[in-house]
Amino acid sequence: MNQPPPLTGIRVADFTWVWAGPYCTMQLAHMGADVIRVESETRLCVSRVTPPWAGGQYGVNRSGYFNQYNQGKRSITLNLKHPRGREAALRLAAKCDVVINNFAAGVMDRLGLGYHDLVRARPDIIGVSLTGYGDSGPLRDYVAYGPAQVPLSGMSALTGYRGWPPMHVGFSYGDPNAGTHAAFAIIAALYHRERTGEGQYIDMSQWECTMALIGEGILDYTMNGHQPERDGSRDPSMAPHGLFRCRDMAETVAGRPVDMWIAIAAADDAEFARLAAAIERPGLASDERFSTLAARKRNEDELEALVTEWTSARFAGEAAEALQRAGVAAAVCATSRDLAEDPHLASRGFFVELEHPEIGRVKHAGIPWRMSETPCAVRSPAPLLGQHTDEVLTEVVGYGAAEVAELRAQGALK
Amino acid sequence: MAGPLSAVRIVEVGEMVSAPYAAKLMADLGAEVVKVERPGTGDRARTRGPFPGGVAHPEKSGLFIYLNTNKRGVTIDLASPRGLSIFEKLISGADVLIHNLTASEMDRAGFQFERFHRVNPKLVMTSVAPYGLSGPRRDWRAEDLTLWSDGGACYLNGARDRPELPPLKAYGYQAGYQGGAHAAAATMGALFAAARGAGGQHVEVSVQESVAAIIEMANTSWPYMGLVLTRYGPKPVQPLDSFECRDGWIFACCVEEHQWQSFVEVMGNPAWASEELFNERFKRGVNYDGFRPMLAEWIGKQTVQDLYHKVQARRVPFAPISSLADLVNSDHLRARGFFVDVSHPQAGTFKYPGAPYKLSRTPWEIRRPAPALGQHNQEILGGELGMSEREIESLRRDTVT
Repeated sequence: MNQPPPLTGIRVADFTWVWAGPYCTMQLAHMGADVIRVESETRLCVSRVTPPWAGGQYGVNRSGYFNQYNQGKRSITLNLKHPRGREAALRLAAKCDVVINNFAAGVMDRLGLGYHDLVRARPDIIGVSLTGYGDSGPLRDYVAYGPAQVPLSGMSALTGYRGWPPMHVGFSYGDPNAGTHAAFAIIAALYHRERTGEGQYIDMSQWECTMALIGEGILDYTMNGHQPERDGSRDPSMAPHGLFRCRDMAETVAGRPVDMWIAIAAADDAEFARLAAAIERPGLASDERFSTLAARKRNEDELEALVTEWTSARFAGEAAEALQRAGVAAAVCATSRDLAEDPHLASRGFFVELEHPEIGRVKHAGIPWRMSETPCAVRSPAPLLGQHTDEVLTEVVGYGAAEVAELRAQGALK
Repeated sequence: MAGPLSAVRIVEVGEMVSAPYAAKLMADLGAEVVKVERPGTGDRARTRGPFPGGVAHPEKSGLFIYLNTNKRGVTIDLASPRGLSIFEKLISGADVLIHNLTASEMDRAGFQFERFHRVNPKLVMTSVAPYGLSGPRRDWRAEDLTLWSDGGACYLNGARDRPELPPLKAYGYQAGYQGGAHAAAATMGALFAAARGAGGQHVEVSVQESVAAIIEMANTSWPYMGLVLTRYGPKPVQPLDSFECRDGWIFACCVEEHQWQSFVEVMGNPAWASEELFNERFKRGVNYDGFRPMLAEWIGKQTVQDLYHKVQARRVPFAPISSLADLVNSDHLRARGFFVDVSHPQAGTFKYPGAPYKLSRTPWEIRRPAPALGQHNQEILGGELGMSEREIESLRRDTVT
């Protein structure tokens, strides 16, 4: 018989915003934690005011960005500029196992919600600060957003077409990456608390977390003093290894054609021979220009042109299926539409469509893992702004209904 | 002080990045990890650079020695029945088995949760597979590039104004790192449940889904608005873009209105900034091409460090485009003790990236370098599993270890 999800009974006060912190706490919510996002009407979360909008219509509860990354949480609004708002926040924190924020270093201390205040309220609390630069060091007061972590971490200097300037990776990668690492560290700290009764403080720097993803590149520098040259999507150990043009998507979107590409990687000579046969050029496998990895790397431009002759006459999905039937690593370079309509993901139950009070049933990405005995599930759609203020303040924090009304009248719940 | 996972015993059967990175995250927080490799060649990561002096050597791969710190290593041929029975002894005392055999490799090797669960009912077995263990693509061949693409990340990146160029992958093995990080979080959840009495279980992680879960607005752009997000054309928020200064590159980043206003002041309030077309957040996204040249011209006259510190003093989140040398020489990272020296007996002593998080009571720590191939066969098979010298020798002769 199924048991409850792993973090059932764990409560998290979530003072984070934008994406890194919310991605972290969503992992905890996926695992059953009661995550309470502390928001404010006076300073809306950036993701609530960023598209895409449900049905193209702006609204603080209608952003796909917010609704994707806050599934399964509750939302309350507190005015942390108001003394009674701060008092409510501290009382809430005392009822929580984990308190997490991604304000710049020092902000929580000034609000009276720093780790030392939290420990006084609850000695075994796990306090988490998830900032751009960490909470020590000469740049501790500097601010960062996820997109800036890609260049700051050294990843941009390693990413780009050959001979081109450094490039980005196309999304705010530093955010979800820090969020996942933070979720792991928090559960490790909960595990330690389970065994010893001890809470602790976790200082996370998004910058450092992002550098973890380019460890081998950093070692090239510390071993050899070498800054690796940017080389597009090629790989020194495989050829071909790249994105190849296919026919445009069959339909236009918003009146425009959508260019489509396929990713192909041939790990060794045998896989290259299978690829050569699949693209109806079996002779390439014994052609001295391409028969070994070294030869293929020497003649990679020519090789890519030959592969493109075959791919460009086909739709990406058909080409990927054909190459996979031949035993070649290939996949569609999926667009946002391909992803939402992906039959493989759908068959695995990856998507989540829950009834949202304002936008109805819309498809969201779900949980990238399955657990056999303690199944995880998205239990509720992302919360409306302040949807749970009253219930959390009365049921969790212990205020009476009259007190909540008073707090509201005083402006402490904005 | 010991790491939070110092009582956790893990067996890893990992290749390349995903499962090895997950096990590294746990090892660096104190877990005892035994890495099982194929006799003879070992983990494919051993063939990947960088190598000291650029000379390939299976014990000196930068990728391998980075991803396998704090692990001990044994070699066992899991395709042989004798090998698999030794493996069962190894996991009988483990808390976690984490691996990234593909679904079809698992079928062939008889590498199944039900079987291992009979051996060890408290075992958490984490399977990190390219497409998961079910669905029409479960047996697809995959490499990091194809998963980064099939997860929807790759399409979002590339030249903004050169449609003839292909989309561009991010550096390195990002699908593997994301599969690994999500696997570590999920495994940690299952371990926490086990500590509360849930017993062992099977955790399945899909690398494709780990990428598909993190692609920002591209997750909902189609269901919400029927939009295909591309690397071309206007973005909702600008500037989020790279610019060349006199002496290097800087990333300009203004997400919130007050950040843009502060940056405009740093630029000396140029007249164009107050024009109707550019004076509001969403208009700057739509009309970015109209003011990018003015930004490029002004930023082109600055130096990176001067501009970076000047805007950060007003809490505007610009960042330099760091070279690897900039990172290793950063005063900030040095003050935080980020890089750590690790001595590897064959590869040498180098700085490695350090703790991704600082836990006040149970710190991250490197206790030993990555293992040589089969380095701990004697210690683990003989010392800990109690096999005799003769048994171990016979296994070696038959290339089971």
